[in-house]
Amino acid sequence: MRVKVLLFGPEAAATGRRELMVDLDPGATCAALKQALGRAEPALLPFLESGRIALNSNFADPADPVTPDDEVALIGMVSGG
Amino acid sequence: MSVRATIIDGPLPPAPAPPPVGDETGALLVFEGLVRRSEDGRPLAALDYEAYEPMATRQLTELARLILSRHALLAIEVTHSRGRVPVGAPSLRVVITAAHRAEALAAMGEYIDLLKRDVPIWKKPVWSA
Repeated sequence: MRVKVLLFGPEAAATGRRELMVDLDPGATCAALKQALGRAEPALLPFLESGRIALNSNFADPADPVTPDDEVALIGMVSGG
Repeated sequence: MSVRATIIDGPLPPAPAPPPVGDETGALLVFEGLVRRSEDGRPLAALDYEAYEPMATRQLTELARLILSRHALLAIEVTHSRGRVPVGAPSLRVVITAAHRAEALAAMGEYIDLLKRDVPIWKKPVWSA
């Protein structure tokens, strides 16, 4: 399945992109998604260990599955406040 | 008990009048985060804030509910900027009312720590020419 991942802040700046399409096996987890992000866009590699996946505006666990209908975002180090 | 969280465009307007004092209110605490004049030794003109909505507002709200409950507060209201905020202007306001100062002070510190960890808002410096 093909999944769109939204990028923000430093990750968007590092890649020059606001979104990235990633190919995943059906039933792939958020952990697998992070690995796929690193392969698809090596500029994201420094951000992936500390980055978190959000599914439909909620932080997800690494074992949570990603579905084609999810809104997916990579949330790196935030800097609000 | 009430919780309110809002993201607005640009710098925050002046703080509104304090809420009416309820029978139990003994403490009203206001924190404002201001844009500093410099970052890493370089003079700033402003900060540009980016927010991932609706997650940012949802996180501000859910963290406020958590802190309200954990510290038995009476109310917590949060306002955060999106877009450009010039040096010296406020980009964050947190208003807490509680029965006593101890829980208000503890809650304020904890809420801001959680905000800085878990709310999808990013700031980018706009350097002075």
